[in-house]
Amino acid sequence: MPVLKILLKRNRIWVFAAILAALVSNLSQMFYFVFVGKLVDKIAGRQTIEYSFIAILAVFMIANVVTVSLNHYIGHMTAEKMAHSLRMGYARKLLKKTNGENRSCDAGQIMSVVQNELAQADAYLGNTFFDIFSMTFSGILVLVFLLFQNALLTMTLLIPAILILVYVLILSKRMTPLVSETQNAKNRMNHAVYSTVHAFPAIRIFDGEKLAMHTFQRETTDWVRSATKLERRSALYNSLSGVLSGIPLLLLLLAGGYMVLDGHIMLGTLIVFLNLQKSLMGFIMNLPAWIGGFKIFTANLTRIEIE
Amino acid sequence: MIRLEKVSFSYDKQEIFRDLSLHVEKNEKVGIVGESGCGKSTLLKLIAGLYLPSEGKICVDGETDPARISRKVSVVMQAPMLLPMTIMENITMGHEYPAERIDRVCEEAQLSKWIGTLSEGINTYLGDRSDELSGGQAQRIAIARAMCKDAQIILLDEPTSALDAENTAAVLEALRRYTVDKTVVHVTHRPEHLKGYDRILKMEDLIGK
Ligand SMILES: Nc1ncnc2c1ncn2[C@@H]1O[C@H](COP(=O)(O)OP(=O)(O)OP(=O)(O)O)[C@@H](O)[C@H]1O
Ligand SMILES: [Mg+2]
Repeated sequence: MPVLKILLKRNRIWVFAAILAALVSNLSQMFYFVFVGKLVDKIAGRQTIEYSFIAILAVFMIANVVTVSLNHYIGHMTAEKMAHSLRMGYARKLLKKTNGENRSCDAGQIMSVVQNELAQADAYLGNTFFDIFSMTFSGILVLVFLLFQNALLTMTLLIPAILILVYVLILSKRMTPLVSETQNAKNRMNHAVYSTVHAFPAIRIFDGEKLAMHTFQRETTDWVRSATKLERRSALYNSLSGVLSGIPLLLLLLAGGYMVLDGHIMLGTLIVFLNLQKSLMGFIMNLPAWIGGFKIFTANLTRIEIE
Repeated sequence: MIRLEKVSFSYDKQEIFRDLSLHVEKNEKVGIVGESGCGKSTLLKLIAGLYLPSEGKICVDGETDPARISRKVSVVMQAPMLLPMTIMENITMGHEYPAERIDRVCEEAQLSKWIGTLSEGINTYLGDRSDELSGGQAQRIAIARAMCKDAQIILLDEPTSALDAENTAAVLEALRRYTVDKTVVHVTHRPEHLKGYDRILKMEDLIGK
């Protein structure tokens, strides 16, 4: 069974709670923004604002704060629980291995896994993994909601965003081989460092400092080369998608502004759109980065065996 | 040749031995036995200049500076300590030796047959596959490395512990030939490997004298 599946299954109650929390917090956030939009409409239309309306608004505001922090808490707890399962599972597997069948139980290899794959998967779980749930929910919820509010305005936002997304996705596809190349180079480098430390007495007695430095340098150079290439390219893609992501918002402001002036939509609706577009754009524009991160994460997991 | 006078040594707080003295004359072959954990490997590392004693004096071939001592000795450690390089580089440690010398030490260390089966021979990269070597292969590389360095003092720490009976006999015989005109300190759990040695000392007899 894939490692991720085991981790999810082992912590299924937490995972379920995290998904639920993400759903609830995003729903409450959306309701809150909708009521803010209604408030703006009432003010713009110089209508009287009932106490009950303000009370409901206050309730939604508080619910929003509570559910968002709850979501944050549960998400991170779940991530910690999963990271713990991963570490413990790895340790259990190791213990089992030393009992026999597998002899590739070399300390350098183990250190390398602990320092690279395990540490990275751990960091990913802690920093990113559960934000994806939350972002995905809010993206989808907001999209459906906005479509019901005003399909035309939603499309103004959505179509350029999707075009940009496809463009960025194609670009980032070219990153995948670079990522694994960098990973391999890094493993080799770590192994070289570890064995140099381990074999220090021999290096000293056989006067092998020059050779060890040479080996070390070779591995480091390899890693630096592929890592710089990777970073350069990912910086380019990220800044590119950053610049492009401004375009849908610009179109929304233009089209929405005209619609409000024409009396086609209320100002409150545009405010709702402006508030909620962040969730939608955040979701769409970050998709490539998430897919990239998720790929690295699963690639790391394939190198870790757990029990 | 090798003089240890009332040497004490501790790893951090744990004292391994106190007032240890050992004299080994030039060309003398000395075996050292003692129970596991009593500090035999530590003693060899001290002689090799890898550690500084907390008390006492160590003098090897007239040198007292550990770095200089290290240059004068050749060792086979208990752990083979291979690096992610080729077999050749692991043996020569980057120094230039005549090809015949390298061939000869490979032969003596019983490596030639195995190297002959490798598609890249002695230039096979051990790299991150060093864990795929057998313990005996790794140990024989370490032995070849020790024989390649032209030192007058040879320190052996269980040099054949990972070898089968046949290889053990062949390697011990090769070491005997190789060290005829050398000074040897050989640590082992198996006194039968010390046949023909001038003296066989127990660790506990070295202490407090
Ligand atoms: N690097 C180290 N740091 C701390 N303690 C150490 C270190 N190396 C060895 N020791 C400790 O020093 C003591 C002596 O170790 P040493 O390896 O010298 O024993 P030994 O006589 O060679 O044993 P064996 O016959 O099992 O090889 C042991 O108790 C060991 O735990
Ligand atoms: Mg020992």
